[in-house]
Amino acid sequence: MVQDLSTISATIDGESHVIESGDTLLKFVDRHRGRGHVPTLCDAPQLAPYGACRVCSVEVALQPDGPRRVVAACHTPLAAGMHIFTESAKVQKLRRNIVELVLTDHPLDCLTCEVNGNCELQTVAAKVGIRGVRYPAGANHLDRAKDQSHPYMTSDLSKCINCSRCVRACDEIQGQFVLSMHGRGFNARIIKGLDTSFEKSPCVSCGACAQACPTSAISDVFQSKSIEASRKTRTVCTYCGVGCNLNVATKGNEILSIQAPLDSEVNHAHTCLKGRYAFKFVKHRDRLRSPLVRVNGRLQPATWEEAYAHIVENLTRIKADHGGHAVAGISSARCTNEENYLMQKFIRVGFGTNNIDACARVCHSPTAWGMQKAFGTGAATNSVEDLQYTNCIMVIGANPTEGHPVTGSKIKQRALKGVPLIIIDPREIELVPFATHHLQLRPGTNVALLDMLAYYIWEAGLTDQEFITKRCENWAEFEAGLKSLDLDALERIHGVPREKVKAAAIEYASAENAMAFHGLGVTEHSHGSKTVMTIANLAMMTGNIGRPGVGVNPLRGQNNVQGAADMGCQPHQGAGYLQVNDPSNHLLYEQFYGAHISNEIGLKIPQMYEAALAGHLKAMWIVGEDVVQTDPNTEHVKAAISSLEFLVVQELFMTPTAEYADVVLPASSFLEKSGTFTNGERRVQRVNAVIAPLAGTKPDGQILCEIMQRMGLSQPDYTPEGVLAEIARIVPFFKGATWDGLTEQGTQWPIQEGGIGTEILHIDAFKRGLGKFHFFPFQESKEIEKHHQEFPFILTTGRILEHYNCGTMTRRTGNAQIVTEDLLAIHPQDAAMKNIEDQDQVRIFSARGEVRMKARLSTEVQPGILYTTFHFPENLVNVVTSSECDEDTLCPEYKVVAVDIEKVHAPDATTIPALTH
Amino acid sequence: MMIPPALEAKADEYIGHYPPDRKRSAVLPLLHLLQHEFRFISDEAVEWVAQKLGIAKIDVLGVVTFYPGFRQTAPGKYHVRVCRTLSCAMAGSHQLMESLCAEADIDRSHADHHHPIAVSADGTFSIEFAECLASCGSGPVCMVEDDFYEKVDPTVEGARSLLNSYRHR
Repeated sequence: MVQDLSTISATIDGESHVIESGDTLLKFVDRHRGRGHVPTLCDAPQLAPYGACRVCSVEVALQPDGPRRVVAACHTPLAAGMHIFTESAKVQKLRRNIVELVLTDHPLDCLTCEVNGNCELQTVAAKVGIRGVRYPAGANHLDRAKDQSHPYMTSDLSKCINCSRCVRACDEIQGQFVLSMHGRGFNARIIKGLDTSFEKSPCVSCGACAQACPTSAISDVFQSKSIEASRKTRTVCTYCGVGCNLNVATKGNEILSIQAPLDSEVNHAHTCLKGRYAFKFVKHRDRLRSPLVRVNGRLQPATWEEAYAHIVENLTRIKADHGGHAVAGISSARCTNEENYLMQKFIRVGFGTNNIDACARVCHSPTAWGMQKAFGTGAATNSVEDLQYTNCIMVIGANPTEGHPVTGSKIKQRALKGVPLIIIDPREIELVPFATHHLQLRPGTNVALLDMLAYYIWEAGLTDQEFITKRCENWAEFEAGLKSLDLDALERIHGVPREKVKAAAIEYASAENAMAFHGLGVTEHSHGSKTVMTIANLAMMTGNIGRPGVGVNPLRGQNNVQGAADMGCQPHQGAGYLQVNDPSNHLLYEQFYGAHISNEIGLKIPQMYEAALAGHLKAMWIVGEDVVQTDPNTEHVKAAISSLEFLVVQELFMTPTAEYADVVLPASSFLEKSGTFTNGERRVQRVNAVIAPLAGTKPDGQILCEIMQRMGLSQPDYTPEGVLAEIARIVPFFKGATWDGLTEQGTQWPIQEGGIGTEILHIDAFKRGLGKFHFFPFQESKEIEKHHQEFPFILTTGRILEHYNCGTMTRRTGNAQIVTEDLLAIHPQDAAMKNIEDQDQVRIFSARGEVRMKARLSTEVQPGILYTTFHFPENLVNVVTSSECDEDTLCPEYKVVAVDIEKVHAPDATTIPALTH
Repeated sequence: MMIPPALEAKADEYIGHYPPDRKRSAVLPLLHLLQHEFRFISDEAVEWVAQKLGIAKIDVLGVVTFYPGFRQTAPGKYHVRVCRTLSCAMAGSHQLMESLCAEADIDRSHADHHHPIAVSADGTFSIEFAECLASCGSGPVCMVEDDFYEKVDPTVEGARSLLNSYRHR
């Protein structure tokens, strides 16, 4: 049968093309004639159609010679059989007139404007053929003052053409609602907040407005739309597990600015202020520029060869005297896959020990463990992009708008479009006002609450029996567990009224596709692994596994924490998650490396400290991690690392941990090296060096290869391509990964031969065969049992948007001007009881020690609960946190700390002065 | 800013006129209620409406500034609106405006389309031009608060006698 082409096609200036569903006239023309063929001022590909400027006007007819109508192409839906005329004299004249009118109120200072050569108004004016403005000078807004109040964002509204792109970027991309149009007609203008400056507005400096602005009306201090750069390099952000793609503009060896690529699957022209603006740490004067070796008790500059010789001598001696198990390594989730792989190889092959761990230990090790137990794979089952297919979002113990900003704004956007959102969090986080349900539980009671959710799903008969029978095991035992629950007791424990829990349970279970996200509020508990398995129970009992828009999705903290575990930086599993004490795996590793490999499970990070204090562990090698500031119970950590005979630290900056080192090796940052990062959705993405390493520094991978060579191991010189090829030979799910095969968008593992990735896990069967239900009754944290009487408040810790982890990098950028210290959130009722006012200095003390910081009165926490962050060494919150750990993985319980507080009357004179910039 | 319970009840009633997922449509009725109660829309009022409707403050402010009918600063104790549409204009409304301003000590030189209101030095009276007040046969007409006046004498004497009835309340 011959299909009538007119039912599936439309014409552009007489040429017929097939239409696609969802096409507007402009999208259709853009696709076939290229972006810019029809000019526009208010339309941007990352924003919804708007139809304000009318510059994209085209003529449309329903018959080739039929009557024509002028319409704005950007917001007119395309229909089959339409005839579009993009260049008729009528529309050309119309466009010219519109642009001419716009120019009557726009400064004509193009030559000195920061976006000269990259200004969309300039391009459009040229395209439509403006040769002059016929109107006499009249009223205008050319005298509007610039706003330079903010460390990053700037505005010069004399350049504004009222296209509202910035307003829409703020609303549609970030969801912050900071910008709006004030007044109307000629007096209409863009305002920030309730008509204030960027600095005083609730702007989160994501930069989406600056990137969307077609002129320089809204920009940033780095002038990121300027064409001054001589080169642009695409790479991947180092700040969190979202894995935003970045386009870095450079001139010579200087980084000028960063923008988010439009075509990135991960972040679609969006990123946060850390990715976009917090890069000035790279050339900060505090960067380490030479190896340091401890001589007579003091760290002194040395050459690389002197440092290497000192390391080889000491490590060889310690290995000879005490055996390889006296050495341990901590790898870094900030480093590339290749570097993590080399680090575990160095420890395993060089010392014959499995004493290798990474900072996943203190964040998502319970996720890896728990999901392996339930599903067989310790990684997110789906992609963040699946948010567009889901009918219900459940966020448990995660604060994505602060910790994973791009994912956070995607969740917010879905909630704004009416997708039910369930938040399970002890605090009223930023997403709560957008949520359908907020279950505000007491910290440390996740298992009690999630068990209750499972109970109500079961009670309402909303379980997916077919999925349970065909795909899972251990249901009977789990069901018996649910039947045995004492709901009255659980309600008392977690403190959320049962009707609320029931409503959320029914919401989650009755959605066609429900998607769960979780963060460190799940894992950093004494029952972290069990909580992860409990989340897995919810997904399995409702059949929310193995298709788009469902699953269990950990929001991985650091940029490559997934990769660090994948590469084998875990004491119980080598590269590719193979159990080290399994005889066949052991044989495989020994053959692969051609060396003696230990088949004993090695030390986890907290066990390393115990072993050091007991005198069994003599040397440690720490890559890019400040354990003194970030691991719990600071005094304990300090005592452990100072009892070592030999400590090597690879770092960008001198950190509280590096102060204890015998050798400090200056490493290169992510902008100075190449390799791959694996984001929280298993996406292996290529990191490309943007500038040459800072003089005196070396990429971590190169350092590791050089030391391995000097320790007598047969290790070729470092190239990321070479190491990736080696990884592909040993890590089963990297089998098809090649340097050139990883496209710009990256590939989600498992990567099959031919480089084919996997977007969704467990589609037909779980990795472990059958998904396994586990029932766990609630158990109180030992921290509460032991100390609650004496220390009646519960302190829980978290992160803020502006700073990353211990702030080693972000404190050396403009972010430090936005947020300058950690603050203690306290409910006004508790504050009144303790006679504390906002901004008062408060002493926080626990069974371990005490810290001081300023109070911030807020109802985001419930009475009895306190909350703070741990970004500043001046505050060093981890002095008070405990050594209680997840029972299965030893992940520390940062989220539940028994403390007491009191007001400090005299200000503390001993605070460390803040960094200068 | 204290919201009287009756006002809140009225606001809830207006919100109830719209489907739950279209609550934001109640923004105009709510702003009218607040302006009537507090005589102008303060930042606090903007915040209250935003919270009530679950929308961003800035979106409410955008509406407030779009309509010249919403005031962001306090008017005088008695607010006067003088019709300037054709019939009244021909019947002397511009003279009436001048007389009222002279009599009440109001400087209108800074008023424009976007800032239509001018307030007397002592804060007793404020004034603005209004579009048709729907009594074209009896111009010039004006309103003082909700009181309606027709065939007003546009001279200073006429203005004085009109304002005096408020001054002596």
